[in-house]
Amino acid sequence: MAEVSISTPLPKAHASKRARYRTTTFYMFLLPWLLGLIFLTIIPLLLGFLTSLTNYDGLNLENIKFVGTGNYARAFTRDSEMVNFSFWRTVIWGALNLPLWLGLSFLMALILNQEVKGKGFFRTLYYLPSVMPAVAAVQMWKIILDKNNGLLNALLSLYQPGTAIGFLSTYALQGMTLIAVWSGLGAGMVIFLAGLQNIPEELVEAAKIDGANGWQIFRHITFPLMTPVIFFQLVVGLIGSFQQLTLPLVLGVVGLSQSQASVPPRSIYLYMIHTYQQIFVNQRYGYGIALLWLLTIGVVALTLLLFWSQKFWVYQGDYAQGGES
Amino acid sequence: MKLPSRDLLVKRLTRVSAYTILYIVALIIILPVIWLFVSSIKKDIEIYSWPIHFWPTVPQWSNYVAIFTMTPFVKVAWRTFLLGISTAAISAITSAMAGYAFARYQDVKGSKRLFQVIIVMLIVPGIVFLIPQFIVFARLHLTNTFWPWYLWAFSANAFYIFLYRQFFLGFPKELEEAAEIDGCGPFRIFWQILLPNSKPVIATVLIFAFNSVWGDYLTPSIYLSSNVTLLAVKMATAFVNPQGKTIFAVSLAATVIYVLPLVIVFFFAQKYILKGLITSGLKG
Repeated sequence: MAEVSISTPLPKAHASKRARYRTTTFYMFLLPWLLGLIFLTIIPLLLGFLTSLTNYDGLNLENIKFVGTGNYARAFTRDSEMVNFSFWRTVIWGALNLPLWLGLSFLMALILNQEVKGKGFFRTLYYLPSVMPAVAAVQMWKIILDKNNGLLNALLSLYQPGTAIGFLSTYALQGMTLIAVWSGLGAGMVIFLAGLQNIPEELVEAAKIDGANGWQIFRHITFPLMTPVIFFQLVVGLIGSFQQLTLPLVLGVVGLSQSQASVPPRSIYLYMIHTYQQIFVNQRYGYGIALLWLLTIGVVALTLLLFWSQKFWVYQGDYAQGGES
Repeated sequence: MKLPSRDLLVKRLTRVSAYTILYIVALIIILPVIWLFVSSIKKDIEIYSWPIHFWPTVPQWSNYVAIFTMTPFVKVAWRTFLLGISTAAISAITSAMAGYAFARYQDVKGSKRLFQVIIVMLIVPGIVFLIPQFIVFARLHLTNTFWPWYLWAFSANAFYIFLYRQFFLGFPKELEEAAEIDGCGPFRIFWQILLPNSKPVIATVLIFAFNSVWGDYLTPSIYLSSNVTLLAVKMATAFVNPQGKTIFAVSLAATVIYVLPLVIVFFFAQKYILKGLITSGLKG
């Protein structure tokens, strides 16, 4: 039915006129986004790159000086100590946060894809933290994880009087991981649920008839078919982890009065925090943008490495999901 | 005889452990929310007391009154609300236009390429663009105004475009074709046939877009000075009373009010949102 009007033989001139009309319409619909892509994405990125070759301080264009690759070199020479430190904090943060988030949201999706009582209720509840703004999430966890007045230390003190663990100071990385997993669990779970629901039922049924048990079905059907989704989540999670700025930034200020500006604890002094400090505290715009570009190069390299690793562990057979439609 | 009973045991065990995990995670999810509320009706000295006061001796409902009498909460909340609603409305329309183009004009040259750009933008977090954009906006003297927000809204959003596209792909083509034969132009088809039938996805996008303004700390903290800032920034630092002392319990009460509209809207719309996200999924 749908194809009739298009597939009826039309004069050639008419067909190309129609194609041109469709092209114009397509770009008309896309115009706002295209303008944004050019003026709010591509041009700022180019100007940003130019800025990274100068000593721009955010204020004066009169004193601006071309410094070539000096800003990039600075990251490996004069500032290498802090850059290295913050880089490795970021790597550790990713190594802690990513597997926990991936594992837990996959596990919850697996459970909630079964016939369990209160399925809808649990799904809704688990997604709830995803609508909580970062500032509110940190506020909530602050009064639980605080060293002296937090609920967790108070509960621990019932067994071990005088417990005062700095979940947000000495162990801020662990505390931040808890907050991040709490916030992200629902969003991760939803993506995994979507993947699980795309697994063809006849495969599972056939395996059951052949006498496969639950573990065998998971090991040989569910997990392999889910590897494309895990891959996708891994890519998104990895890029997100490396660009994490809001959580440590907010952890540094929440609960304090406005007069006390604060740098986050050392254990969560992530790469983006260092970049942020360079730009907005030290007014080194050129250097800050150079740091951003270095991070982008690193993340792109890691992402490409992940894409390359696909052929060793990601299922790409007939039942693969996530392909072009 | 032995085998089935062992299988049954394993099945029961998995079942029990699955429910245990479900309830433990549920408890961890809900605990901070409950504790926030309980703490919000305490006195400041009870929050800071040692050993801990689990419950307030006398519930301090006056904390909730103090939000409105002692802090600039209402003024900033109203400003944020207006900006959130207006930018969400703009973005919901421009993103729908782009989503429609990507769903129905796949034959146009360049369509596939541009959609790949959308996928890249989906994966790359906004922070990469935020700082270079800031430099441009600062030079144009548009920082400390809401212009950047309106320009972002106008230029649509990759994630919303993606949601719309998935939705429109599943929408029957027959209606549009009938309208086209009747001489209806593409923009009228979009406006009078597609949009009125897209309420679930429009609702989802409006909620996401509103939340992205209401909950955003980073952008206003970079772009706006404290006298015109948005609610998330105000919420991050504790409120102080006229004497300049931190009133922490009032700040906690304000956080409850801050998240309440999001939670209420989420509970009403969760069916749409979760269904939309789960079914649209990754089928790119």
